[in-house]
Amino acid sequence: MDDYLVSVLSNIGVISFVALSAYLLLLTGEISFGQQAFFAIGAYAAGIATALWGWPLGAALAWGALAGGTAAVLVGLPTLRLHGLYFAVATLAFAETVRLLFEQFRYQVTIDGELVGPNGTDGFRGIRYIFENDVGSLQFLGLIYALLLAALAAFVLLERSRLGVAFRMIGEDATLAALNGIAVARTKLLAAGLAGALAGVGGGLYAHLTTYVEPRIFDVMLGVHSLAYGLIGGLGTAFGPLLGVLIDIGLLESVRVFAGYRMIIFGGLVALLLILRPRGLLDERVVHRIRRAWFRLLVRSHSTERLNRDLP
Amino acid sequence: MIDFVQNTIDGVMIGSSYALLALGFTLIFGVMRRLNLSYGPSIMIGAYLGTLAYVQLSAGPAVVIAATVIGAVLAGVYVERLCFAPMAAGAGIASMVSSFAIWMQLEQAAILVLPHHTYPFPPLATGAPLTLGPFLLRVDHLITLGCALALSAAVQLLLYRSRFGLALRAIINDPVAAHLVGINVRTAVMLAFALASAVGGIAGYLVLATDQQVTPMFGMWATFKGLIAMMIGGLGSIPGAIVGGLVLGIVEAQSQWYFGPQVRDLFAYVLLFTCLVLRPGGLLGEPPTREPALGRGRA
Repeated sequence: MDDYLVSVLSNIGVISFVALSAYLLLLTGEISFGQQAFFAIGAYAAGIATALWGWPLGAALAWGALAGGTAAVLVGLPTLRLHGLYFAVATLAFAETVRLLFEQFRYQVTIDGELVGPNGTDGFRGIRYIFENDVGSLQFLGLIYALLLAALAAFVLLERSRLGVAFRMIGEDATLAALNGIAVARTKLLAAGLAGALAGVGGGLYAHLTTYVEPRIFDVMLGVHSLAYGLIGGLGTAFGPLLGVLIDIGLLESVRVFAGYRMIIFGGLVALLLILRPRGLLDERVVHRIRRAWFRLLVRSHSTERLNRDLP
Repeated sequence: MIDFVQNTIDGVMIGSSYALLALGFTLIFGVMRRLNLSYGPSIMIGAYLGTLAYVQLSAGPAVVIAATVIGAVLAGVYVERLCFAPMAAGAGIASMVSSFAIWMQLEQAAILVLPHHTYPFPPLATGAPLTLGPFLLRVDHLITLGCALALSAAVQLLLYRSRFGLALRAIINDPVAAHLVGINVRTAVMLAFALASAVGGIAGYLVLATDQQVTPMFGMWATFKGLIAMMIGGLGSIPGAIVGGLVLGIVEAQSQWYFGPQVRDLFAYVLLFTCLVLRPGGLLGEPPTREPALGRGRA
C-alpha cells in the first residue's frame, strides 16, 4: 500500500473512535459536543506516558483510556442530570475548558539533551515511540484496526446484552426505563465512562500516529463532526458512525476532485440525507431488515443442508 | 478601581452585541425548541454581502446595513427550509446536525466568493471616544447598546402585544393546538426565523462595524457567543438574553484585563459550565423540565 492510503486509513480508524464515543452517548439519548475532550486527554496522557515516562505503548494506551474514562465519569456526575440542549452545551463548555487548559499546560523534561513534553499552545512534540521502536506505519495501522475491531465486537456484544437494551431504553424514554427498574443515573454514568475511555484510546493512538498534538486540534469542530458521523451513518448499529467517517474522510477529504467545493456538496448532501433519513443511513429499521434477511438466509441454508443430508 | 469600572463599562458595551446575538438565538430556540448551529454562519453570509457592497460598489452605510440584514435573512430562511421545515416532530437532533452541515456549506460558499482571509468593513462612527470623568466611551459601542435595548424591547412588544406574537406564543405552548385553532404554523415559524435572522444581521453589522473587518471565522464566533449568552441568561427568555450577554461581556472584559486573552475564553466557558450545573435554566429562564429540550421533544 502506498503511504497516502495508509495515512488516510489510519486517520479513518482513529477518528472512528471519537465517532463511536459520541454514538455510545447518542444511544442513551444524550447529545455530546464534548467527546473531543476525552480524545485530547487520552492523547496527552498516552503521549506523556511513552515520551516522558518511557512506558510501553500498550500500557500507555490503557492509561489514556483510563484517563479519558475517569474524566468522563467525573464530568458526568454533575452534568448527566441535565437534558438535551443543556447537556449538549455543558459538554461543549467542558471540552473548550479542557482545550484552553491544555493551552496553559506545560510539563517538559530534558531527554537526550532535548526538551520534550506538552508546551502550552506550541503543543506536544516528539511522541516518537513508533519510530524509536521500529513500528512500521503498516504495523501501526494493523494495531489501530485491531483495536477498532475489538471495540466493534464489544459493541455487537453490547447490543445483545441487557446493558445494551438498557442503554436504548433510556434513549427512548428515561422515565419508562426507570419504571422498568433500570438505574438510569448509574447506567448513563457507565455509558459516559465507557464513551470517555473509547475516546481516550483513540486519542492515544492519534498522538502516536501523528507524533505531535496541539490543543487547537481538539476544538469544537472535531466534536460536532464526530456527533454528525453517527447521525449520517445511522443510529441503528455501531457500523453507522464508521460509515459516516468513511463517507466524510474517505470519500470527500481524500478525493481531491472535490477540493474547494467539498463542503458545498457534502453539506447539501447531508442536509438532504437527513430529510429522507432522520436517523441516518443505517437506522434501526434498516438494521432490523438486514438482521431478518440474514437470519432467513441462515435458516434456509441450514434447512437445505439438512434436506440434502436426509436424502438418500 | 478606575480600571475595574472601565472594564465593566467595556464589558457592558461588548456584552450588548452578545445580547443581540442571543436575542435572535433565543427567538429561534423558543419557537422551534431546536438548536440552529447555522445561526452565526447565516449572519456571516449577510456580512459578506455587506462587505461585497462596500468593497465592490463602495456603498454607503445604509446600503451595507441593508445588504447585511437581507443576506442574513435570506440565508436564515434557506436554513429553515432545508434543516427545520422538512423534519418530523421527533427529529430534533437531525435538524441540529443538518444545520451544522449547512454551516460548513455557507462557510465554504463565503470563502469561494471572497477568498482572502480578511475583508474591510465600513466603520459605524469614527471620531474620538466620549469622556465621562476618567472613563472612555466609544460611540459605536453606545449605538450597539442602544440597539440591543431597543430591539429587545421591540421583540418583547411584538411577542406580547401583537397578533403575530400571540400566534408565536401559541406555537411555543403547543404547536398542534395552535394549528387546530387556525394558526398557520409553518408560515409563522418561517417568519420567526426571518425575524431572528434580521436581529442577527443587525447584531453582525454592529459587531463588524466596530471591528472594521470580517473573516470567515465570524460565523463560528457568532454562533458560540450567542449560544453561551443565551444559555447563561436562560433559554427562550428575552430579558435573559440581554442579561446573559451583558454578564458574559463583563466577565470577559475583566478576565482579559487581569489575566490576558487566553484566560478570558477559559473564564467564559467555566462560567457557562458552572451556570449550567448550578442553574440549568439560566439566570432568568425557567428551570428545565424532564422533557428533553432537543430530540424527541415538541415539534
